[in-house]
Amino acid sequence: MIKDRRVWFWFAPVLLVLGGVYLVPVADVIRFSFSDATLLRPVTGYGLGGYRAAYNDDSLGVVLRNTGVFTLLSVVCLQAMGLAIALLLVRGDRRGLWGMGALRTIVLAAWVIPGIANGLIWQMLFSEAPFGAINSTLRLIGLSPVAWLSDPGNAMISAVIANVWQGSAFSMIVFYAARRAVDPVLYEAASVDGASPAAQFAFITIPQMRGALLVNSILVTIQTLNTFDTILALTGGGPGRATEVLSLNIFNRVFYSYDLGGGSALAVLLLAISMALTLVYLVVLMRRGAR
Amino acid sequence: MRFALAYPLTAALALTASGTTAQDLITRDRVGPADAPNVMTFRLTAFDLYSSDDATREFFEERFLALMADYPDWRIETQLQTDNIGQEQARMLEQVRAGRGPDCAMIDSSQLGLFKSAGVLSPMNDHFTQDQIDDLFPFVRDGVSDADGNVLAWWWFTSLQVLYRDASLVPDAPATWEDLQAAALTTVEAGREGVLFNGGRWEGTAFDWLPNFWAQGGELVDADGRPVFNEGDNRDKMLAAINFYKDLVDAGAAPSRVTTIINYDEFNAAAAAGTAGLFIGGNWQYGQLRGTLAEDDFANWEISELPGPTADQRATGTGGWTIGAFSEDPTAVEICARMAYEIYATEGNAFQGLLPTSASLYDAYDAFDGPEYDAFAEALVNGVARPGAAIYPEISNQIQILLGDVLSGAATPEAALDAAAAAVDAAYERL
Repeated sequence: MIKDRRVWFWFAPVLLVLGGVYLVPVADVIRFSFSDATLLRPVTGYGLGGYRAAYNDDSLGVVLRNTGVFTLLSVVCLQAMGLAIALLLVRGDRRGLWGMGALRTIVLAAWVIPGIANGLIWQMLFSEAPFGAINSTLRLIGLSPVAWLSDPGNAMISAVIANVWQGSAFSMIVFYAARRAVDPVLYEAASVDGASPAAQFAFITIPQMRGALLVNSILVTIQTLNTFDTILALTGGGPGRATEVLSLNIFNRVFYSYDLGGGSALAVLLLAISMALTLVYLVVLMRRGAR
Repeated sequence: MRFALAYPLTAALALTASGTTAQDLITRDRVGPADAPNVMTFRLTAFDLYSSDDATREFFEERFLALMADYPDWRIETQLQTDNIGQEQARMLEQVRAGRGPDCAMIDSSQLGLFKSAGVLSPMNDHFTQDQIDDLFPFVRDGVSDADGNVLAWWWFTSLQVLYRDASLVPDAPATWEDLQAAALTTVEAGREGVLFNGGRWEGTAFDWLPNFWAQGGELVDADGRPVFNEGDNRDKMLAAINFYKDLVDAGAAPSRVTTIINYDEFNAAAAAGTAGLFIGGNWQYGQLRGTLAEDDFANWEISELPGPTADQRATGTGGWTIGAFSEDPTAVEICARMAYEIYATEGNAFQGLLPTSASLYDAYDAFDGPEYDAFAEALVNGVARPGAAIYPEISNQIQILLGDVLSGAATPEAALDAAAAAVDAAYERL
């Protein structure tokens, strides 16, 4: 415990900046969520009208289901892809394979592409026009073309693929750093004891990377819940509402319906979901760590 | 064109007299002398005075300098709008209401009604002759005027949707929905995709489809801006228009991928790849096709008015931009009106190939001599502007959703329409 009160003097700038940048906007969203504000006129009164309008909307169930499917599939795939690439890189480094740096750079290149550009890239790849990139390749090898974006079920899968392609690099960085930090002596001892690679992965790699898994789970979940730019450019949320997730629904509510109060009420719901999932991850992983 | 010949001379004299250069007088945020005592603000898009195309930028710089030579004590502070039209215009309206808006601004024609109903536009009557006003297309004149006959903005260019067809496969322009389906099936038999149109989640989908509703006399909102598209006869007209699209897809006259099309460029790409036979596109695509296709291929492409339920029931959606004044200062309003007409609506349109909103202007400039402009002018007679009601963006959003649901088989037309109407009504109550 630090008893020197001067520490707050040094903390003050950070607290002010963080408060100004994060807490004030969040507080403002909560305030708007209880208001009747629209983009066309300022607040004229406060109440629960925004919550009632947003939560009684018949489409909310579909939107929440889409959000759940998109987030679950994305997070699982992001973790798996990130871990696989990270382990591949570590093994390549250990064996001194040529091109590991180039591989890291290529994977990272996807990460720095803006979400809108990512959506446009995948829209071209998934195009169902006779000259669409992936379908043309499928035809070339004698397979039937796939309705990547016009079929409501496939459209969600396509959105997940686009999101995972872009986001895997972030998971890879987190896992690569964590894996490099694992003491090699543990693996040497396990090898001496005759542990198989699968056993080493299950009993050394995963337990040692628990912290990274926790942090990454939280970050990619929140990141995925907030993803709407890729979907906006890829499908716009369609066909119909097949790929409309909560963040995109909020965007539409504010900028099509001009309903700032209702949109803010849904933003509060999104915030609550993010916080609840974060707590669940923390509890689950900490319990396992305590065992 | 009163000022057309005087522009270059006046500008040159003004520049010589002041000893300044064009670069001094036009910057990224100003037109006119930096020390001019009177200031007005002008919010514009980035396609003319600040165009990335050198020739376009220089053309407009010259015109602006010439105009401002008449107002040596004034400077215009320019403010660029972003591409996010709906958000940008909503913010501007809020700023104007709070007294922080620009003195003069470009207003998207689909949003003009919002500004009119808010009562924030300054009348420009004194700066236009009755002949100029009478010469506007009827839908334009109605759009810019209020109930008292005041001209509240100047609609300086318009756009419209037309049917493009490969005349080597479809020699005669389809006049009815039935004709279009038959023609599209002909192109499918020839190995093409049938008729293409926007069917994904974006404004183009609603904009391209609504003429099918309007052609039957359907109305989206009443005089007060209240949504009525699911009431009385309007519901039947909506269902007829929805079923028209559904039948095209079900019959194979349109590919199911139309629900993924959220960009007009898709049609140009399909035409260039030789896979398109017919598509519903904007007038501006004619020039793009000319630049994209080989001369022989381009010669096959012809345009015609959008088909209707019957040959006599036609409509086309119109768009474009207006310029309006928010200032109370009479000189600022005058400059705003002169910019709208003398720079943009006349010579600017001829230079850029944008469609004028007055019939006589098509004869006044050589740039509009092509046969395509005759077809555009003819179709504009049946032009319908999107309602300027605050609820329109949400109506458009719901139309995009319902068409996607119906065309992908996720909902019946009736159920999708009821869901759309319920969502629009709920949004209307919150406005």
